[in-house]
Amino acid sequence: MRALCWNGVNDLRVETVPDPEIVNPHDALLRVTMSTTCGSDLHFIDGYLPTMKAGDIIGHEFMGEVVEVGRDVKKVKKGDRVVVPSFIVCGNCWYCDHELWSLCDNTNPKPEYQQVAFGYPTAGIYGYTHAFGGYAGAHAQFVRVPHADNDCFLVPPGLRDEKVIFLSDAAPTGYMGADFCGIQPGDTIAVWGAGGVGLMAMRSAWLMGAGRVIAVDRFPERLAMAERFTGAETVDYSQVESVVDVLREMTGGRGPDACIDAVGMEAHGTGPGYAYDRAKQALHLHSDRGQALREAILACRKGGTLSVLGVYGLMDKFPFGAIMNKGLTLRTAQQHGQKYMHRLLDHVVKGELDPSFLATHHFSLEDAPRGYEFFKQKKDGCVRAVFTS
Amino acid sequence: MASSRTTTALREIRSRGEESWGEVRSGQWSKAASAVVAGTLMSLGLRRRSLGGTVVALASGALLYRGLQGRKAHRPAAGRETRHGHAVEVEHTLTVRRPAEVLYRLWREPSTLNLLMVDFAQVTTTADGATHWEIQEALGRTLSFDSRVVEDHPPELILWESTKDSAVKTQGWVRFRPAPADFGTEVTLHLALSPPGGVVVEALAKRMRAIPAMRAMKVLRRFKSLAETGEIPTLDHNPSARVRAD
Repeated sequence: MRALCWNGVNDLRVETVPDPEIVNPHDALLRVTMSTTCGSDLHFIDGYLPTMKAGDIIGHEFMGEVVEVGRDVKKVKKGDRVVVPSFIVCGNCWYCDHELWSLCDNTNPKPEYQQVAFGYPTAGIYGYTHAFGGYAGAHAQFVRVPHADNDCFLVPPGLRDEKVIFLSDAAPTGYMGADFCGIQPGDTIAVWGAGGVGLMAMRSAWLMGAGRVIAVDRFPERLAMAERFTGAETVDYSQVESVVDVLREMTGGRGPDACIDAVGMEAHGTGPGYAYDRAKQALHLHSDRGQALREAILACRKGGTLSVLGVYGLMDKFPFGAIMNKGLTLRTAQQHGQKYMHRLLDHVVKGELDPSFLATHHFSLEDAPRGYEFFKQKKDGCVRAVFTS
Repeated sequence: MASSRTTTALREIRSRGEESWGEVRSGQWSKAASAVVAGTLMSLGLRRRSLGGTVVALASGALLYRGLQGRKAHRPAAGRETRHGHAVEVEHTLTVRRPAEVLYRLWREPSTLNLLMVDFAQVTTTADGATHWEIQEALGRTLSFDSRVVEDHPPELILWESTKDSAVKTQGWVRFRPAPADFGTEVTLHLALSPPGGVVVEALAKRMRAIPAMRAMKVLRRFKSLAETGEIPTLDHNPSARVRAD
């Protein structure tokens, strides 16, 4: 089959690779009908996330049609049209049973990396480093889905792929981020990053009863999108002296009730703090640029909630004193997609959520490297590139 | 009471261990230990000429080992290493969400050990009920030996040792204890290995203690997945643009 492979830093190529096979009894094979870029892919494409190997197939946000199932698959059938959360879960362990799906104990075949890096290994992901399992990714014609009964979700009839594809990752991640905020009716929620995840978090905050939603970004087309598709107010951080001051003034001197970081380790910013991060990252002295998260910590009102969706490795100059002294609640996780999928599909069917506006650019799988180029450089207002084979 | 029985069983094991460690200075041990180390290195993918991978694997192992040292329940008394050569003992615990009875039975099933060791050794059951191990050495040779269960306290503890006439000697035990709340059962795996002879190899073996520690961790992880889901996560036939799947 054809698949998009990572061959080194900033070296993506579409290559011919072996087809996947049913290996374990709970596996299913999918013909991928659509897959999409994710900002977290950029971290290893740029070389900031370790444990990639040359030749790895990438891609973790996808949907498709079931073409074969293993002997112990009970619910999923050949021919089913399904969407699949990016984290692979077993459905049997203590974490799955407690709806902490991305922490599943049984789907990472290479636990040794995370055992050291994080203390305990998390679940595996498709096409996202060997620390997260080393599974082949979904920017391919076919993909193997382990534990299919817990990981494949039937798409209700009549929904186009574009309406459903982002329920694989961007939508549940954003939705979870809003859920973490414990939104009370009328709350003000500020969201850093108006990419796929951030925009989904903004929309979700409204669905959960927020009174105001504020988007922080610097790209005019993304801010316009936040305004148009999610009804958020906007702050262009490149046009103001201090985001923290602006947010304080916008909220009567109190600060947002909750702040969501949908940016992560490659944040852009302005001023000496950003220059410092950029320099250290360029010299490989540390891996993270934490401008967005630092701002979110300082901007959040006392006793508020900080919801972190951005992906981080190691960060220094982390203002923990502000979290502690202001009594902030810190909530964070990789997406527990399986927890939210039915709710999200329900929102989509009812017309309350339509993530299809994120799919700004379409490419064939053969053209996927160019798709990533558009996505990374945000060329032509690209928010998400979607691939079809 | 279950816990006191377990404790007694362990005390017996420790005294048995003292005896058997007296025999460890045979040349066969060198062979065994170097095979174990080499086999494990292979399974960790260190032969793939990736410096990064090697460093990560070794650093991981070293850190993991340090972590294990901190909470070892039966650390050998000081001086024991000198008396018995540099006996390498590793111990790792993992909580599995199944009752002890189920886990005990699964561990004793003839096919289970082979599934747990699949990337390291071939494990089969002989006609007289012993366990036969075949470990691939780095140079393509195969090292084989038999082990036999010598202590059996269902559903709490199983202790095995290599047979007397076996070319290789080794010892290990697995223990099942109830975990609090709804967590299931705490499973502890203990493995004892001996270092090869010779100063250089001994020094190397000391540094390599991380490798069996890593092995113990991975064996338990596989056991947990098998018990909880009926399968072990794998990268077999995992497509990529490389020749090797993993």
